[in-house]
Amino acid sequence: MTAPQNPITRAIWDGTLPIKFSLDSTEAAALGAKAIVEPYFIEAPRCSYFPLWTSQIRKYFVDMALNFIGDDAEIWYDVDGTPLKWHYPIGLLYDLHTGYRPDSNSPPPLPWPVTVHFKNFPTDKLIKAQAIDATQDFFMSMIKEADFLRNGSTKKVMNLSKNDQTQLWDGLWSKNYDKFWSVNYRLVINDGQMPKHVPMRIYLPDNCPVIQEPISPIDENGNQLTLGDVLHQVLPELFPSPLPSENASAAPVPVIHGIIPQLEIPIVWASQNLCYPDNFLHIVVLLGI
Amino acid sequence: MSSANNDPTLPHSSSTSSLNTPPIENTPQTPLSPATMLEKYKGRKDSKKGNAPILKQPFFKITASNKFQVVIQFLRNQLNYKASDPLFLYVNSAFSPAPDEIVSNLHKCFSTDGHLIINYCTTAAWG
Repeated sequence: MTAPQNPITRAIWDGTLPIKFSLDSTEAAALGAKAIVEPYFIEAPRCSYFPLWTSQIRKYFVDMALNFIGDDAEIWYDVDGTPLKWHYPIGLLYDLHTGYRPDSNSPPPLPWPVTVHFKNFPTDKLIKAQAIDATQDFFMSMIKEADFLRNGSTKKVMNLSKNDQTQLWDGLWSKNYDKFWSVNYRLVINDGQMPKHVPMRIYLPDNCPVIQEPISPIDENGNQLTLGDVLHQVLPELFPSPLPSENASAAPVPVIHGIIPQLEIPIVWASQNLCYPDNFLHIVVLLGI
Repeated sequence: MSSANNDPTLPHSSSTSSLNTPPIENTPQTPLSPATMLEKYKGRKDSKKGNAPILKQPFFKITASNKFQVVIQFLRNQLNYKASDPLFLYVNSAFSPAPDEIVSNLHKCFSTDGHLIINYCTTAAWG
């Protein structure tokens, strides 16, 4: 089966990040590593999740004489001491934790240095999964939450056949664009109906709480709202106008999939084309340089 | 912050002792207005949804800035469930929010007549 051709969703699907996984040095010694353990490099899709890479990463470090017999769900990751939420897409975590502005003059922090931990799971900061397949449950729940925002019910997801539902997750972990998007486009396009609300979350720096509001894609006159309109509506202090600021580098910008989208794009178009596989538009707002 | 007590949507049954159970009645730390929520048992018609016990009173107030994890923990305490006992929570019988989602966001997006409706069961029902 083939998904409808869309160069934008295709490019987002194909987007990857080189990541460098290093072992926490004190932990390495406690787990029996005698010498310095070389880091492990992968190129992960931005749309993927860390638990999908855990068994591969674990195998590498155990083969390097690390003594670990625990469950994969005990393995966790951090960046500069901040634990990474395993149920967030990797690309979102990168944009959020590096705070890298694509319009800055400095090169991006790549490969992205991430620390792997085999001990001391921070249950106060991360959700402790009962098993590694919790990632699939969390993912499907996000898709349902998105459907509820669009339609006021989860009927569209629940009306998918069991096979089609499974295909969403299978397509994601097997990196099969056609498998995933041949089903997902039916959800995202919403049978051509204007969604009630746009499934989106906004992330601000400095551990601000995540913002999720019922955002209507049209105004009271039925005109389509743009990304700039929505940012202005939700964050008027940061976006005093729906239009781009004249002093571009000093103004806050939205970052999605590592790019700064134009503020003039309709929010519905953004939702249909720039959403992550979980059907949410995850927007990281970065402050001026 | 006392605005919750003036909330016209707050059910009258909110004077029962269970409301005083921490951390639900703790002082709000942020200037968000408290949301109200409704814990409701809805699994009676469908045996698939398990035999979770019914709450004595189904309405509770919770600080809006709390994470959904607090709701999960509160419900476990109310039901006397151990951490190892399976318990599944759903919003509007539709989806399971992640424990780190913020109650005020869920309330803004999914409330019905001012209440966030939570359904719970001992087996995955709307999974």
